[in-house]
Amino acid sequence: MPDQIGNMSLSADQLKLAEYGLIIEISDSPLKINLLEMGFLPGKKIMLSHAAPANGPLAFQIDGSTLALRKSEAALIQIESTQS
Amino acid sequence: MAEVSIQNVDQKVRIAIIGNPNVGKSTIFNHLTGLRQKIGNYPGVTVDKKIGTMNFKGQTYEIIDLPGTYSLFPNSEDEIIAHRVLNQLSTKVKPDYVLMVIDSTQISRGLFLATQLIDLGVKLTLIMNMADIATKQKISIKTFEIFKELGVPIITTDARGAKGLDPLKEHIYSGNFSSPSEFLRMDEIVPVDLLEKVRTHFGFENNYQAYQMLRFGLVDKAVSAEDKTFIRSLLDEVGFDLERAQIEETRIRYEKIDRLVQKSVKTDIVNRPKSNKWDKVFLHPVFGYLVFAGILLLIFQAIFAWSSVPMDLIDGLFANISGWVAGALPEGPLTSLIAEGLVPGIGGVVIFIPQIALLFAFLAILEDTGYMSRVVFLMDRWMRPFGLHGKSIVPLVSGVACAIPGVMAARNIGNWKEKMITIMVTPLMSCSARLPVYVILIGLTVPDRFVIGFVNLQALALLGLYFLGVIGVLITSFGLKKILKTEEKSFLMVELPSYRTPRWKDVLLTMYNKSKTFVVEAGKVILAISIILWVLASYGPPSRMDAVRSEGELRIAQATEEEIPEIEAEISSQLLENSFIGIMGRTIEPVIKPLGYDWKIGIALITSFAAREVFVSTVATIYSIEGDVEDDLTIREKLEQQTWPDTGEKVYTAATAFSLMVFYAFAMQCMSTLAVVYRETKGWKWPLIQTVYMTALAYISAFAVYQIFS
Repeated sequence: MPDQIGNMSLSADQLKLAEYGLIIEISDSPLKINLLEMGFLPGKKIMLSHAAPANGPLAFQIDGSTLALRKSEAALIQIESTQS
Repeated sequence: MAEVSIQNVDQKVRIAIIGNPNVGKSTIFNHLTGLRQKIGNYPGVTVDKKIGTMNFKGQTYEIIDLPGTYSLFPNSEDEIIAHRVLNQLSTKVKPDYVLMVIDSTQISRGLFLATQLIDLGVKLTLIMNMADIATKQKISIKTFEIFKELGVPIITTDARGAKGLDPLKEHIYSGNFSSPSEFLRMDEIVPVDLLEKVRTHFGFENNYQAYQMLRFGLVDKAVSAEDKTFIRSLLDEVGFDLERAQIEETRIRYEKIDRLVQKSVKTDIVNRPKSNKWDKVFLHPVFGYLVFAGILLLIFQAIFAWSSVPMDLIDGLFANISGWVAGALPEGPLTSLIAEGLVPGIGGVVIFIPQIALLFAFLAILEDTGYMSRVVFLMDRWMRPFGLHGKSIVPLVSGVACAIPGVMAARNIGNWKEKMITIMVTPLMSCSARLPVYVILIGLTVPDRFVIGFVNLQALALLGLYFLGVIGVLITSFGLKKILKTEEKSFLMVELPSYRTPRWKDVLLTMYNKSKTFVVEAGKVILAISIILWVLASYGPPSRMDAVRSEGELRIAQATEEEIPEIEAEISSQLLENSFIGIMGRTIEPVIKPLGYDWKIGIALITSFAAREVFVSTVATIYSIEGDVEDDLTIREKLEQQTWPDTGEKVYTAATAFSLMVFYAFAMQCMSTLAVVYRETKGWKWPLIQTVYMTALAYISAFAVYQIFS
């Protein structure tokens, strides 16, 4: 849904291939700390580079490295859509 | 909790190496220590404790290679170890200095762990590794800026290119490690009095240690019950949300690091790779799987083709040693114990080395090139419905060659439940030791005919048995998924590192270390069981054994020269019949008769417990087959002639053979695997459950098959 500024807020699992997103925050979950320590931090830009078939894991480009997450984990990453 | 420091009595300086996964930690460790490594255990966990020694200018250093971790938060067994050693909770390993390896292209993530170490107050040096790749990606690092901010000495290396490693040795020798003031002020995140109380109780020197104890002390097995009560009462009293604090810590720490990195690291954005071009193929939804299948095929081909040569050599060598011992030493029980129990027992351990070494070489190459995490990415989706993890694919695939390296490879799985399921099901994959049994039984019952023009019926049957193993794996893991309970949340967060050429020296070291671990750890159990089996097979009630012997001597005395070998074979067959194992075989006949087996097959089942392939040699002895037992044809002919004494019908009908094949597909008949499962699970509980379960599965399936076909 649109936030106050009018941007669509999304979660990282909703990105399409080669689309970029800016991390707004990580939703509360036992895995929040794991995502943060891997470098999924608010303010970082991510890009979905690969998706395994049949709702398999997603691979994101972040800060020059490739990190793979399950879809349910990517859903914890709140992003706003952004250009490269 | 506080203990008197007694290190350095032996003048050895202890140094721990730590870093994120895939930063070249092991290469640095291998370079510093060479072959002077040993692998031990940390109490209570399966993580290998890798310790090596380095001698430099007359000083001896003990170097500990800690498992790769992103933080000091203990999420997996690997991280628990790093957490314990660095928090000095583990009494046996207490490093004097810590070397923290950082990937120069991933500085922020490295500094996250590095600054945690600073806050813990350990004496530290940072190694900026992979300097060559950073240069290639046009990343320039002002190490002096970082040094100024952190106050920790920094050394730049390119471990793959062996650059900067000699200065590193010099640096270690200089002992110039520093423990600067804290990077992050914990008293801004956690109430001061809370930290104060923990510090006084445990005698900690700094706030971060106190905070780590507060946050993780309750879940750490190394913390005593009284200390846990203390922490719990303290937390109840203050009512402080530690999980929030941990998230706060992570956020603020990364913010501070970001500011530092902006000052000290220049990145030419254009030159940073967006994603790897190889991944377009390797992670492709279709081609990715095809490439993986191709690589698997190649590995199996290589393992079957290459390991059979050294395995045959080892087999022959130990047979020769046996023969030599039997001939050279005076005849007696001790000689036959050595010749028939001890030497073949050791041979039974050594024979697995080629397969283990080769498989681990391939695994090391796949891991080292960065391909393995791609496989995890591709397979996770297909493993999860069965309670397995993407990482389970490695043990399962290895299981087709041999379950032993497979079970050993399961330790990389972080989640307890997924790891246990993987260990439990891996031995159900049809390993290469089942092949000789399958070949004989298929040859006996399945006609060597072609159907639909080109499909060989025997090959089809063999393929069917492999499928049966896979089905057993899937059903069992699905069942275990429902039964086993864990509060740990399964997750997949894995870095897909950039592709590299493998470091051959490291691959060789992996081969060497894994084989050594197997021989030393599993070897003891295997040797013990094979000696027990030998005793049971060579001794029996004296009256019965003596009767067979004296009757045999009488017959030999009267026989002609040509008749002697045949009579001798008959005698050894009769001796086996009357030995304890023979008696056990007869005893279990009522139990195995519904599966279509007579007591002779019963004996083979019991001896097969040592290893499945023993079936062939046992059958050869029982049916007193003379000459070359390796020749399938002679065995097959003998088996054809076997009849039931009461009905006179053939024993080896199609129903019995099918039932036997299914039994061998499912039964736990490999003490080496059991020994490895014992080692990996730290106890007899799981290997026992596994044996009971697999035997039950084998029995029920074989029973069903026999009843359907007979």
